[in-house]
Parts: sequence; C-alpha cells; structure tokens
Amino acid sequence: MYEESGCFDPSNMQQEGLIQAEDGFSQTHIPICNNQSFSMEEHSNYPQNPTQQDVAAAVLEMELQQQINLEMQQGETHLMQEIVHDSNWQEMSNFNGYINQFSLPDTPYPTTPDLLNMFPLPRCSPSTTSLLPNSSISFSKSAQKSSNFLASLGLLGDLTPVVADGASASASVVYDPLLPLNLPPQPPLLRELFHSFPHGGYALGGSRTSGSLFPGVVDERDVNGGDGRHFDNGVFHFTGDMDCIGKNRDGKGTKHLATEKLTRVLIKDKYTALRNLVPNPTKNDRASIVGDAIDYINELKRTVNELKVLVEKKRCSKERLKRAKREDDSMEGNIDTKSLDDMGQPYNGSSLRSSWLHRKSKNTEVDVRIVDDEVTVKLVQQKRINCLLFVSKVLDELQLDLHHVAGGLIGDYYSFLFNSKVCEGSIVYASAIANKLIEVVGKQYAAIPPTSSY
Amino acid sequence: MECVKTAFDDLCILDEEKTKGGRMEKRKHIDSDDEDDKFKSKNLEAERRRRKKLNDRLLELRSLMNKATIITDAVTYIEELQRHVKDLSDQLLKMDANCVKEEETTKIEETDAAEEMKKWGIEPEVRVTSIEGTKLWLKIVCQKTKGGFTKIMEAMSVLGFDLTDISVTTSKGAILVTSCVEGNQGGLPDVDQIKDFLSEIIKSI
Repeated sequence: MYEESGCFDPSNMQQEGLIQAEDGFSQTHIPICNNQSFSMEEHSNYPQNPTQQDVAAAVLEMELQQQINLEMQQGETHLMQEIVHDSNWQEMSNFNGYINQFSLPDTPYPTTPDLLNMFPLPRCSPSTTSLLPNSSISFSKSAQKSSNFLASLGLLGDLTPVVADGASASASVVYDPLLPLNLPPQPPLLRELFHSFPHGGYALGGSRTSGSLFPGVVDERDVNGGDGRHFDNGVFHFTGDMDCIGKNRDGKGTKHLATEKLTRVLIKDKYTALRNLVPNPTKNDRASIVGDAIDYINELKRTVNELKVLVEKKRCSKERLKRAKREDDSMEGNIDTKSLDDMGQPYNGSSLRSSWLHRKSKNTEVDVRIVDDEVTVKLVQQKRINCLLFVSKVLDELQLDLHHVAGGLIGDYYSFLFNSKVCEGSIVYASAIANKLIEVVGKQYAAIPPTSSY
Repeated sequence: MECVKTAFDDLCILDEEKTKGGRMEKRKHIDSDDEDDKFKSKNLEAERRRRKKLNDRLLELRSLMNKATIITDAVTYIEELQRHVKDLSDQLLKMDANCVKEEETTKIEETDAAEEMKKWGIEPEVRVTSIEGTKLWLKIVCQKTKGGFTKIMEAMSVLGFDLTDISVTTSKGAILVTSCVEGNQGGLPDVDQIKDFLSEIIKSI
C-alpha cells in the first residue's frame, strides 16, 4: 500500500512532479526517494506553490509514517522517514527548498540556509566514521519531537560542506547528530547516498534499495561502476529482515559478531569452570557437563544431610556420655540416664541415616550405600590388578566391620560387593568412603606398569 | 480434614491446634461452628493463594534465567555445597577427636567372637584343593577379627593368586572364606605347601 502512496501522490501535480523527478534524476535518485521520498516530491513541488508543497508534505508524512510502522529496522529509510515524520510544516517547507537544492546535481551546493544555522547541533568529526558501521542505532518510535527533525536537519546541514569536501566524511556527518535518536545504523546506504553527489552521478544501487517503491524501474546494473563497488558492502533491500543493519554480507554487523563472540567465549569459560568443579567429569560436551553437575549437586546435598545427621548423633552421644559420667560420679540413680537415653533415642531413631553415592572414575566404579549403620559398597574395576587387598585395607582404616564379601571376575572386570557395619561412634560418611576407595584404587592402577596385561 | 494438616506443614502450630480442635468439636457437637469454618477456610484459601503466588513467581524467575546465569548459579551453588561439606566434616572430626572410646569396644568384640566360636564348636580350618590345571579352591575358617580378612588377602597375593571369585561370610564369631583362584605364575607351589602356609597365617589372626 505504501508502494502506491510512495512517491506517487494522488494529486496529479504530484505525479507529474514525480515523473519529472524521475526523468531528471535517473536511477540514483530513486533510492533517495525511498529514503527521502519527500525530497523528490518536494523537488517536484519546488517550482510550485507552497500550498502544494504542504499537501505533498502531508501526504509524504502519512506515507512515511506507514513505512516507519512497517519496517522499523530499515535504517536509511527510517532515518529519512523520521526526519520527515517529525517535521513541522514550516520547517518542512524551508527544508524542501534546501533539499531540492541539495538533490540537484548541477546546482552548486548551497550555502547553509538560515534554518540550519538556527540549530546548534554538534558536528561530528571524521573519526566517527569508523564507528558508524558498528553503532547500533535503533529507532525510537515514540520520539516524536521536533528535536529529531532538528537533529536530522543538522545532519543534512552538516552534509553540505562535507559532501563538498569528500565522500567519506559524509558518512560520519550523517550519523553523529542522529545518534541520540538511536537510529539503526545504515552507514552504507547513506554513505552511498552522499557519495553519489560528489561523484556527480546518482548511481546508487537501484533495485536493491528501491525495491518496493520502484519495482523494476531501476536496474542495479546501471549503477556506476565506481559507486557500484560501494554496494558490495551494503545491503540495500528493504525486505524487513535484519540484513541491512551493519555492513557485512552475512547480515551481522561486525560489532554484533564481536559481542557475540565475546559472550560465547564467556559462556564457554563458565562451562569449563563448572566441569572443573565436578569430581569425575566424563565427556567434554555441554550436555554431559550439565548432567554431571546435576548428579554432583545431588550427591553434595545428600552428603551435607548425612553429615548433619552425623553431627547431631555425635552431639547427642556426647551429651549422653557426659551425663552418664556425671551420673556415675555423683552416683545418682540410673533412672536419669535412662530417661536421657529415652529422650535421645527417638531423635536418633527418627533420623535414620541413609545416603548413597555413585562415583565413576576412569577404570573404577564405586557405589556406596549407607542405611543406619550398615554400609554396602559395590566396586567394579577393570581387570588388571586385583585390588581386593587394598580395598580391604581401606575398609579397615575406615573402621568398617566386614560382614560379607562376594565377588569375582566377570569378563574383563572385577566386581565386588562388601557388606559391612559401621563401628559405633564412627564418623565415616558415604562420600569419604567413595573418595578413599577411588583414590586407593587409582593409585594402584597408576603404580602398575602400563604394559602389564593378563 | 486430614489433608489440612499434611498440606500445611509450615503453618504454625497454633493453626494446627485450632483445626484439630475444630475437628474434635465437629464430632462432638452437631451444630458445628460456622464461624470457625469460615475463618478456617478463609485462612486455608488465603494460605493456598499466597503459596501459589510465590511458587508461580519463582517459576517465572527460573524461566527468566538465561544460559549464562544458570551456569554461573550452578557453579556458585556447587562451591557453597562443597564448603558446607568441608565445614561439617571438619566439625565432625573435631568432635571425634575429643572422644576416645573405640578401642574398648574393639577388644570387647574380639573376645566375644572367640567365645562364640568356641561355643559353637567351630574350629579354624584351611582346605586347599586343586580343581584343574592351575585352578585351586580354597576354604578358610578362622576367628573373626579386625583386619583378619586383610591378612588373608595379603597371604593370597603373596602366593601370586589370581582371584576368580571369592565369597566371605561371617557368622557366629567366625569368618568363612571360600575362593576359587588361579595360580598364574608358573611354578605353582604344592597344594600342601599352600595349606601349611595359610594355616600359619590364620593362626596369627
């Protein structure tokens, strides 16, 4: 719909003017029209009455508003649309004059009109050119102030002297005043736009830029060779995707790439940090890192609970011992100690200690289950050396009373099951057992010569 | 009304008692107190709503997290848990250091074991049989002591046996070791020699 209203005004005069404009300004003018559709119309209206200009401006405003709503991400289009959008009529008409002068190739570049001198806007330095492709300027839909227009005026006002000076500087000029607007970056488009003037040709990428407005009118192959080169970087199609933002063909601005890379690296670092915390990490892919972390967190939670129970038990038994001693010393009846025991018992009984743990290492698998005072250890190890001796030593150290042992060689692995009881008052907990076992077995495996095999 | 009690464990005891009393009263009095019920159900509803609101908000917070924050939080949480574990285990060790009473229990256990064996007439025993080739079958009966099993295992490794399978049980103060081993390092000692060697070992247990 906006295509229709694009630069083709309902009024005949407008259309005439447009046709004029088209004739007058070959293809290069068309992209400008896209972005500065008002300019064409204004230009066409230039020789006409101010009233018509106003009408044109109104129409333009409407159409551009629509355009804004449709494609907020299209930089240059919106850039110029905003300019128009925020215009007030008075300024617009003045501006028209300026633009008309500006867009005519053969007119000498006008001196800055009074309008522009009215707006003390910051001029940017050429050094900002380099920043422009990276600047993430986004449109503020809500900013409907004339200040935007002022800024845009300033933009174009700056353009004049700069364009006269050199093409490259124009780009810098284009953006700096507009930065507060948060406009999306369209350096190549505008750059091309303003590059065109000093070159004396309007060889802006025709079909690419003007797609919707002038379908088929422009042939991008007609673009000047010199200017055509510029478009290789630019993405001129207004198809509503993000490609036009930035300068690279792949659709992402270099700044986007840089930030994304940075975030990727950061996230990867965090994954490796997580992996380093987990005791036996297997596989380096993210899914298993997270899976291992989950298991480890659960294991830690169980260990914490177990230790809490143990501490409580210990404290209780200590209390009981103390009281028992005191009772013995004072030779008071057993009733008191018994009652204390009774008090202690329910607590201990209700907090039945239970925990389990499963740990895997490179060549060993340990499963420790503790229920109250019974410890069951399952050990699976690769058959290379018989660690049974070392394991039983460890269990002795941990003061575990072996009740049953069963196991043997199964294929390539030794598998053992140990049933044992925790000695009264022992503070051993599942995690400690598992750690110790893995440590010892690991040591043995490390100690044997690598070539040994049965 | 049971569900009230289980569902709202975090309610203060006062509330529970109130509901309990309410239940009792209901049973006793036919004309139940509507006012109480109203307050109860209002409280219930209010509580339910409050917790639902909290849970929903927490879920939403969880859903908001992006990948980076999730991972960072996981790292922090793991470190915190590890610190907890360390603190608790240190605390436990400290507490344990103050208690010195295990030795007595050990001695008590051992004397008990010896007595029980005698009571049941179990005699220490070693049996070694050759099954086929280098395979041997062992049976050891001895008094159950701390570290006894370890000594037996030491002996077996000294003999250079490859364990095929093993079964150990303890009962009535005695320990029974049954094992099938493979003597793999040529120059297998004589069956009788093995038997003598092992008998010596168990005597020292």
